Amino acid sequence: MKFDKLKKVYEHKYKALTIIPFLILALAFIQIGVQYANTGDFLNRGISLKGGSAITITETFALSNDQLLLDLNQEFPLAQVSLRTLNSVGNDLGVTIESAFQEQAEIDGLVNFIVEETGLDKNNFGIEIIGSSLGESFFKQTFTALIIAFLLMGVVVFFYFRSIAPSMAVILAAFSDIVVTLAIFNLTGIRLSTAGIAAFLMLIGYSVDTDILLSTRVLKRKEGSVMERIYGAMKTGLTMSGTTISAVGVALFFVESEVVKQIMIVLFIGLLVDLVMTWIQNVGLIRFYLERKEKHKK
Amino acid sequence: MNWKKLFLNWRIILLLTFLLFSLVAIQPQFFGNEGVTIKSVQKDSSASLAGIANPSAKLTPLSKEKIIAVDGVMVSNADEYYNIVNGLSVNRTVRIETNDGTYTLLTKGDETGTVDLGFKVADAPTSNLRKGLDLEGGIRVLLKPVDPATQDELQLTIDNLKERLNVFGLSDVVVRSAKDLSGEDFIVVEIASVTEEEVRDLLSRQGKFEAKIGNETVFYGGKKDITYVCRSAECSGIDPQRGCTAIADGQSCTFFFSITLSPEAAERQAALTRDLEVISENGGSYLSKDLTLYLDDQEVDSLKIGADLKGRATTNIQISGSGSGITQQEAMDDTLTSMKRLQTVIVTGSLPVKLEIVKLDTVSPSLGKQFLNNVLIVGLLALLAVIVVIFLRYRTLKIVVPMLLAMLSEVAIVLGFAALVGWNLDLAAIAGIIVAVGTGVDDLIVITDETINGEAITDWKKRIKNAMFIVMGAYLTTLAGMIPLLWAGAGLLKGFALTTIAGISIGVLIARPAFAVVIEFLLKE
Repeated sequence: MKFDKLKKVYEHKYKALTIIPFLILALAFIQIGVQYANTGDFLNRGISLKGGSAITITETFALSNDQLLLDLNQEFPLAQVSLRTLNSVGNDLGVTIESAFQEQAEIDGLVNFIVEETGLDKNNFGIEIIGSSLGESFFKQTFTALIIAFLLMGVVVFFYFRSIAPSMAVILAAFSDIVVTLAIFNLTGIRLSTAGIAAFLMLIGYSVDTDILLSTRVLKRKEGSVMERIYGAMKTGLTMSGTTISAVGVALFFVESEVVKQIMIVLFIGLLVDLVMTWIQNVGLIRFYLERKEKHKK
Repeated sequence: MNWKKLFLNWRIILLLTFLLFSLVAIQPQFFGNEGVTIKSVQKDSSASLAGIANPSAKLTPLSKEKIIAVDGVMVSNADEYYNIVNGLSVNRTVRIETNDGTYTLLTKGDETGTVDLGFKVADAPTSNLRKGLDLEGGIRVLLKPVDPATQDELQLTIDNLKERLNVFGLSDVVVRSAKDLSGEDFIVVEIASVTEEEVRDLLSRQGKFEAKIGNETVFYGGKKDITYVCRSAECSGIDPQRGCTAIADGQSCTFFFSITLSPEAAERQAALTRDLEVISENGGSYLSKDLTLYLDDQEVDSLKIGADLKGRATTNIQISGSGSGITQQEAMDDTLTSMKRLQTVIVTGSLPVKLEIVKLDTVSPSLGKQFLNNVLIVGLLALLAVIVVIFLRYRTLKIVVPMLLAMLSEVAIVLGFAALVGWNLDLAAIAGIIVAVGTGVDDLIVITDETINGEAITDWKKRIKNAMFIVMGAYLTTLAGMIPLLWAGAGLLKGFALTTIAGISIGVLIARPAFAVVIEFLLKE
């Protein structure tokens, strides 16, 4: 049976298998490096992290989106206008028009132009403006928050297992998860907002969950063989990831708010990546550690 | 099975007590709520003259006064109320019944003849939960002092802004200070159901009002120099003498309102006009220099001073200015709004520090409502997805039902907590609740698996202890992720971080231990 073969590989070739997560991690670093070389920034920052404005329109208008974008770019060549359609379950919900404009007068000009073009009431528009210095500081601070959170998590994990190698394995799994998720997120072309960074912070919690479960079951329990304990942990861990991934997936599909949608996209990618990082990388490292410990005893 | 023993377990009692408290805090109105809630009462309006107070922002949504009927006609939603009021005629009495009593109001009309009783109302709430801006519609402005300011100056600025918004007729406002990780100060202003045009100037203007003759200042805005600002129809409005005129691209109108100067300011005016010459112009006699009005160093208007005022200490002064629009109606509206704004800054004086708008979000109320409905449906679907996965794994209602109940109790207690401390539930906070419930399910699965797989361990206490070890580890790492967010980015993600922290803490300390007791009870047989 194919499954048995797979199981055999998983149980015996675990050292070779750890190449997979490390290869993914290396590819992620390359993606981020290329992104940095091309754009001068290692991620796609949205206006809430670099400054600018976004006008959200949820009413329908006769003009086609492409035509509106064309007209806007012609009228405001300096605004770097971009247009995004919002949709959920294939339904068109409206558009968001993002631009580099931050001054009130500039945005008024933009809004009035859109009103002229579409004939809609501007009081129904959602408008978000953020100054570039504030956007820059938001970015720096949420990024700092991410690093502090990561360090705090590391402290908790060390305190919990009081042993360097297994703790490092847990921290490495969380780190790989975040880096790989960022690289995949970059590939989607979506611009990261503050909500997205908050999602990365959540990901730390979600990703470490299963690693703690695995390490506790394997290191602190005595019943059964190591492999049996790993499978036991896997059964629980996959149920955990299964509920979260399906809930996040459903939300991703149906949600209309961009804020919530971005949180869900980051979590969805992150939870899938975490499966590899926990059940191949972390399992591999833990078994490697136990094997060496056995040898030392002898 | 000994059900009595289950319900006497202190963990279960704790959970049930918290659930009860949440119910009391939220007070869900299952059968709807009658009337419309008064959001604000405008100063000097028919309503405030009849003795109806402007509701404090601290009141819980359900304890705000509600209008039940107008002239004996029941009102059940905001549209109905506005329809009835629009049908009223000027200068008659109208009986307003609220849940606190009955008031008799004399209707007043504005310049265009439409009746405004001075109430802003909204559909009556169905619970004590406060909806955040992105769900209700409104604006959120982040202001930053242009130059570094002391804490005292900031507090004074916040108080002054609150007063400005109140004088302007808005009560549903939040004005608070915020600090970010690098120690910079911000002021956050949140106002529900207004458009940005109405309030932008009020917030970003320092509001330094000056009246000058030549280069000498006669008086400033604020209570020291100006003791009274007229805002009733007799001594304010569109200037009947100057009226509206056609200009290049539309119409322009002039407003006027009278103010009363303090004796010191009047004395200054007398001293400054004493040495001016009298000149004749268009058949009238005026002084050689004008009284020029400035707002934040920009000229608002220039007034000729009648010759008879030379050297006299008059306390009564007329202020004027103008507005414009494409049609006459638009011009009048614009003029009256400008007048209201100018009156507001003259009453409240200038801000101690100059502010700039660094972030501004506007959410239209229709968009907010759409988001709220959508997020509720998504929440339900996500819950359903979770239940399906759990059922596929365990295939017994003995586990699925307690899990569902544990999840729902966590949501209920977090919402109860939010209602109690008066949090505004915005999209980020709802995302926080979803995260908390998500980690909650993970923990419930750990607890269940530790108890059903721990066959080798005969001691149930040990099994639960094993499970709680993993649960606490997961809790502490999630907590580690959320704590830095409390301060980052001027606290704009604070709502999200707080709800998540509250949610996971309630889960770990209350709901999940109770779930462990129930699972032990049901599976021990």
